[in-house]
Amino acid sequence: MSREAKSPYRRLAGQMLLVLLMFGLVPLVAMGLAGFAAQRTASETRTRTVLEAMVKNRRATVELFLEEKLRQLELVASALPVTELSRPETLESLRDQMQRERGAIVDLGLISGDGRHVAYVGPYNLQNLDYSAQPWFEQVMVHGSYESDVFMGFRRFPHMVMAVKKREGGRDWILRATIDTDQLSDLVREGGLESGADVFILNLAGEYQTRYSEAHRLMERADIAVPPLHSGVRIVELAGERPREFVATAWLRGNDWVLVARQKVPGFVALVTASPVVTIGFLLGLLVMPPLSLLVARHRLTQIRGLEMERAALYESVAQSEKLATIGRMAASVAHEINNPLAIIQEQVGVLTDEIADCAGGAMPCDELRQRLEKINAQVQRGRKVTHRLLGFSRRIGPDVEPVDVAEALNETVAFLAKEAEASRITIVRQFAADVPMIRSSLAQMQQVFLNLINNAIEAVGHDGEVTLAVKRTDATVEVTVADNGPGIPDRERNRIFEPFFTTKTGSTTNSGLGLAICRETMHGLGGEITVESEVGRGTTFTLRFPLEPPSEPPGAGRGRSR
Amino acid sequence: MPDLKVLLVDDELEFLEPLSTRLARRGVSCSMATSGEDALRALAGRQFDCAVVDVKMPGMDGLELLRRMRRDFPAMGVVLLTGHASVELGVQGMELGAFDYLLKPLDLDELLDVVRRAALHT
Repeated sequence: MSREAKSPYRRLAGQMLLVLLMFGLVPLVAMGLAGFAAQRTASETRTRTVLEAMVKNRRATVELFLEEKLRQLELVASALPVTELSRPETLESLRDQMQRERGAIVDLGLISGDGRHVAYVGPYNLQNLDYSAQPWFEQVMVHGSYESDVFMGFRRFPHMVMAVKKREGGRDWILRATIDTDQLSDLVREGGLESGADVFILNLAGEYQTRYSEAHRLMERADIAVPPLHSGVRIVELAGERPREFVATAWLRGNDWVLVARQKVPGFVALVTASPVVTIGFLLGLLVMPPLSLLVARHRLTQIRGLEMERAALYESVAQSEKLATIGRMAASVAHEINNPLAIIQEQVGVLTDEIADCAGGAMPCDELRQRLEKINAQVQRGRKVTHRLLGFSRRIGPDVEPVDVAEALNETVAFLAKEAEASRITIVRQFAADVPMIRSSLAQMQQVFLNLINNAIEAVGHDGEVTLAVKRTDATVEVTVADNGPGIPDRERNRIFEPFFTTKTGSTTNSGLGLAICRETMHGLGGEITVESEVGRGTTFTLRFPLEPPSEPPGAGRGRSR
Repeated sequence: MPDLKVLLVDDELEFLEPLSTRLARRGVSCSMATSGEDALRALAGRQFDCAVVDVKMPGMDGLELLRRMRRDFPAMGVVLLTGHASVELGVQGMELGAFDYLLKPLDLDELLDVVRRAALHT
């Protein structure tokens, strides 16, 4: 039975562990995921916001810069007459002034209406160039001012040109300046530095107008498409990019240029390492949860087990008390029951004594003497039956005959002693054959015998041993053996053990020495027999043989023997 | 002293018989009844000096018989016997008018003494 008792506990432990894990891990993981998701959304929003602000800011800066340059040029053009402007010295001083104040100007030149430099100051050799065919020339003539894209001109490096038209004396003149695009690039790049974004300008053809990093080559087509015309700042997510990337764009300069800022959104790793405390906490939680749950489950289980055992012990002691109470209740009527036969015995003995007193002559005939002695004996039998019932274990008063499953009866009896056996580390081995039939007998009496024998076996072993119970069928009987591997019984004692009041257990106040005598009497009453085999140092085996058919007289009827 | 006439009442004839034999030897002539009804019938038939009644009997028990005896035959003393070692029953019996109360198994001399005194008392 102890074997069966283990698996419900194991299952309970498993269930408890599962529940604990779920209640621990599920919220943890859920919160972790939720936190992560929130973090991601937050960082995305942050990225967008920063990008937007930065792009707006840069656009404003760039437009201001360019406008300022143009205004400057216009101012100069309108302020000075051509005669002045034609003079290289003037141009030079103008250029220096402009450079000093605002920087970024590389050269300055006055071009006549037919496309030729009239005056020029700057690092390049341009004196004999004819610009009249250049698109920008036409444009400035028509519109009055011109700003170029960044382009490679004669000078073979990226620059940008601004030009304003001056009309004087009926003729058109052009004041032309070259802007250093590095400064423009710097201006643009500044924006990206803090936020970590790539910021640059593209023209309508999608060519880089500013450099941001080594990856950029001016005038090269960017790998990014020019966005459709839009107002304000437009932020989109680049499709298919991993990690995810946002691109913010803003058109400027009359929709000729577009300012682009691209920024990667922090990926999983970045997010996780961004808040290391939380991440570590989360991981720790995950690691700690299972062993902790296991510990808690185990602890609880031990508690439950303890409580169960307490309850079982309590139940047992209550059962015991009940048993004693029943016995107590029985005792009064049992005492009466015993006293009656005893009283009768006494009277009969008294009669005989009286008779013997007038011994000479023997007034009482022999037959009557014999009869009276017989009656004495009958009362003694009656008394003994009552004491048998008192001394033995029985659930039903009275030897009812019924079909009995011997193995089952044995199991039930063992159950009462299982705890004792377990406490003394004695294993109970069962060898029950499968083909044993039910027999008609008295269950109560049978179990009385079993209890006695098994108890004896356990006591004989003491501790750390084995008691083997076997049930099998022979031709005419059902054979039950109770064997122990205790010290065994020496020959001279073995011959006497079934004698009433014979006992080898010294110092026991409750041992009447009647146990085996009663067993034998009971077995005979059931139509069976009990035998013993023993070897000192190896153990003892008691064999019970029950008849397949009950005896003709009901079991428990006395056989008229006084022993 | 002439033979005392005593009615013995107990459901067990096995008990009454040897007791009656022994008492007869000692100058007490006994009649036996194995039930309350039997006893009342016997009492209707003849006079007795004393009755010895077992308390525990099936059917009419000893105490009930005692009540009736005290009611119908107040002159006759009644001695109660029982296998129970019960003080309450003794007290009850005495309250109901029993002359005395003895435990089984009996001490015959004690019984004789009580019976003689009961007979004298009436």
